[in-house]
Amino acid sequence: MAVTVFLRAMAALLCTLLLAAQAAGANERKTVRLAFRAAETGFDPQQIYDRYSVGICENIFESPLTYDWLARPVRLVPLLLERVPEPEEGGARYTLRFKRGIHYADDPAFNGKRRELTARDFEYAIRRFRDPVNRSPYEWLFENKIIGLDEHTDKSKKAGRFDYDTPIEGLKLLDAYTLQIRLKSPDYNFLYFLAMPNVVPVAREVIEKYRDDTQAHPVGTGPYVLKEWVRRSKIVLEKNPGYRGHTLSTEFADAKDPWDQGAIKALAGKTLPLIDRVEIYPIEQEQPRYLAFVNGEHDYLEETPFEFIDQVLQDGKLMPAFARRGVSAFREEQMEFTYDVFNMDDKVVGGYTPEKIAFRRALILAHDRAQEIDIVRKKQAIPAQSPLPPGVVGYDPNFRSGAFLDHHPARAKALLDMIGYIDRDGDGFRDLPDGRPIRLEYKYLALEQEKRQQAELWVKNLAEVGLRVDTVAVQFADHLKDRRVGKFQIASSAWIADYPDAQNFLQLFYGPNTDQSNETRFRLKDYDALYEKSLTLPDSPERNRLYREMNRLILTHAPTRLGVHRTFNHLIYPWVKGYKKHPILFTSFKYLDVDTAAQRAGKP
Amino acid sequence: MLAYVIRRLWQMIPTLAGVMLLIFFLFNWVGGDPALVLSGKITNKEQIENIRKQLGVDQPYYKQLGYFAFEVANGFTCTYRSYVDADGARAKLRAEGKPAPCQAVRSWATNEEVPKILVTRIGPTLTIMLPVLVLETILGVILAIGVAYVRGTLTDRMIMMVCTVAMSISFLVYIIVAQYYFGFKWGMFPVQGWTGNFWKDLTTYAPLPIMLAIFVGLAPALRLYRSFFLDEINHDYVRTARAKGVAEKVVMLKHVLRNAMIPILTNVGIALPGIFVGSFLLETFFSIPGLGREILVAVNRSDFPVIKAATVYLAMITMIINLLVDVMYKVVDPRVTFK
Repeated sequence: MAVTVFLRAMAALLCTLLLAAQAAGANERKTVRLAFRAAETGFDPQQIYDRYSVGICENIFESPLTYDWLARPVRLVPLLLERVPEPEEGGARYTLRFKRGIHYADDPAFNGKRRELTARDFEYAIRRFRDPVNRSPYEWLFENKIIGLDEHTDKSKKAGRFDYDTPIEGLKLLDAYTLQIRLKSPDYNFLYFLAMPNVVPVAREVIEKYRDDTQAHPVGTGPYVLKEWVRRSKIVLEKNPGYRGHTLSTEFADAKDPWDQGAIKALAGKTLPLIDRVEIYPIEQEQPRYLAFVNGEHDYLEETPFEFIDQVLQDGKLMPAFARRGVSAFREEQMEFTYDVFNMDDKVVGGYTPEKIAFRRALILAHDRAQEIDIVRKKQAIPAQSPLPPGVVGYDPNFRSGAFLDHHPARAKALLDMIGYIDRDGDGFRDLPDGRPIRLEYKYLALEQEKRQQAELWVKNLAEVGLRVDTVAVQFADHLKDRRVGKFQIASSAWIADYPDAQNFLQLFYGPNTDQSNETRFRLKDYDALYEKSLTLPDSPERNRLYREMNRLILTHAPTRLGVHRTFNHLIYPWVKGYKKHPILFTSFKYLDVDTAAQRAGKP
Repeated sequence: MLAYVIRRLWQMIPTLAGVMLLIFFLFNWVGGDPALVLSGKITNKEQIENIRKQLGVDQPYYKQLGYFAFEVANGFTCTYRSYVDADGARAKLRAEGKPAPCQAVRSWATNEEVPKILVTRIGPTLTIMLPVLVLETILGVILAIGVAYVRGTLTDRMIMMVCTVAMSISFLVYIIVAQYYFGFKWGMFPVQGWTGNFWKDLTTYAPLPIMLAIFVGLAPALRLYRSFFLDEINHDYVRTARAKGVAEKVVMLKHVLRNAMIPILTNVGIALPGIFVGSFLLETFFSIPGLGREILVAVNRSDFPVIKAATVYLAMITMIINLLVDVMYKVVDPRVTFK
């Protein structure tokens, strides 16, 4: 009898312990750790531009629109708005209807009250982009764009203080949740602006309370809050307890895509986010970033360094050491392109005469892009046929640069001979028709192995056709300055999409953007006219035709040597569930889950 | 001695002025345009001008230099603009009977207060560099005196050869190889990381960087200190001591060591300011949030306020340490007199 009682008591105790353990497991906090490739600057959405800071803001704040997580090509969906606004008045007016009942994360600035999001917050944020005090890197989004805003800004500048209260004609608050925006001219890409992770509403009282250091006090409506920030060393996000939650939309998922199916299996039907805590460590050096992942200190590694790619992948497949550990590799063709810019104002490589165009085309033909992809990019890139990367609206998969860009030293030599760029003094290198020697200069970003190898490739390839090029490694700030002010002959450059429309790339060659983003200083009337016309059109066959024409003009006038669209490999441990990388949005925390037991078991 | 110290303190002012001039003109003539770095991907001339105005780099050089001097005089805790109180905010506070603090100089890139940057980054830097200096000096002296004792033997030659080889290899190579093998392959240390908890950092994350810095610094220190000891060993007083029958151990440890300490102290004094700026290579590779890494980021971003403050801070530390070392000479060697 006593034994039976004892056994029963023990069984009850065991059951209790098991239940407690299960409950503890269920309540276990889910944490992911990862590294950023560069240090952040801060988290005031209107003051930042680097993708790492913007990536954090993406999780703390919410934009009016966003992108469907699984849809490819990308697709706009509402986030803070009730629906995606329809372009009105031929793309010159947009009415933004904000959802009701969305609240900011709690903050002392709200004096203990829950603060609901209103349309006024977004109107305030737009004004902040133009306030000179904020030195907003994305001011251009709202410059010469909204009726009355430029005049208002000028007036404020003269007054010495930005006016946040006087109504602006193009920013009309119809009610507490509705903002009508009227543009100076039609812009069908304006909706993409509303999906940018830093074009987000902010609460005025928060900005005013933390006026001196708004970068350190991000308060948004998003799924996470900034819990800890050791600048340039550690960023910790934790679930926003007041967040309303979101779900994974599966409407546009690809039934054949295993990543989509993995995400659906892990996340569909659940209230997101599932990750309680995200720890991010900026690690600038590639080796420790890579080793931290391989060592199991981090749960996934985005943008596996090119120098380690041979240790990770062979012929596109994971090496056995990684496959054995259940690691998977997500391959992403980023919406970006690399290019070498020719300075069109330079006396040797610039100009629009047939001779100068032929010279630049000879340079392009001399360059071996296949070697660039094989050696410099470790086969992690595809050749760019135009400035437009796959996936952007307006990209034409059938557009081929063909004979304009393919490596052909014989044709390069023939072109140079034809324009009289021959060796006149017998030193083995070609000279200008007037006898002056040709000595080109290629500027590239210092401290980057890829860029140095690219410079070496230029030297080797041009020597093969009898041209000399001096390579100059320049620090980031100087390289930027030289490219902007035209203090270079040939220089390396790259562009990452701000929004997924061809216009964001084709503006790089628009004449009036010289001294700004048009680093080639290319000014061609025909091109500018096509560009301006394309701005007035919605996504349509007619606009795509204009884009094709512009791409042809770029190829024929050769203001640039088109490089590649790089491919990045993201490595994920098996305990991270539902991973998928979005081509525009930078982070994935909102759409992740973690098997904590497997995570514990997998860590060293 | 007091007069000497006061005189040396006075001499620091023109030296500091020279450092300020140098850094100011280097930045303005060689450095990139901070406005372009901050302006983002798409910008126009007007925006760049606005940023220059905000940063104060649109002002004539003599004015910028004046602001710089003002900031240095205030330890970077007060900008000239906030001091002159253009918007009347300070006057308003004073009228309300509240303290009217100046605004500290802030980073152009991150808006963080510069004094705060220096204060928060110095801890991790010293956690690495202080043990490095202490251990490197102790080990260097012990090994050097041992090698000097067996001078001319095969052991001496072998050690010198190893030192020469060790000195010929770049620090970067040591870091990359050691991080790979000690951190990753053999799992003896974490690959990288920092917690902010002093003991945890010192015992977990700091040992590998410390070990590397010592390993790299030991070879030149050993060669140098050995030469100091050999200089002393060849002096007459050593021969006399030996002739008197003093034990070799006493000769080396009492007579030679004491006299060789003066050049060793000078060498440590020269190296001492370096520990306050750290090693940017170690800090970037091991993710240590120290001053070296901060300065590197600041240079890449043309973040002049941080560069200015770090340079001035280092110059001042160097001058103060030099003064302390000179005073220390007196303690180590009573024959030294101040003039």
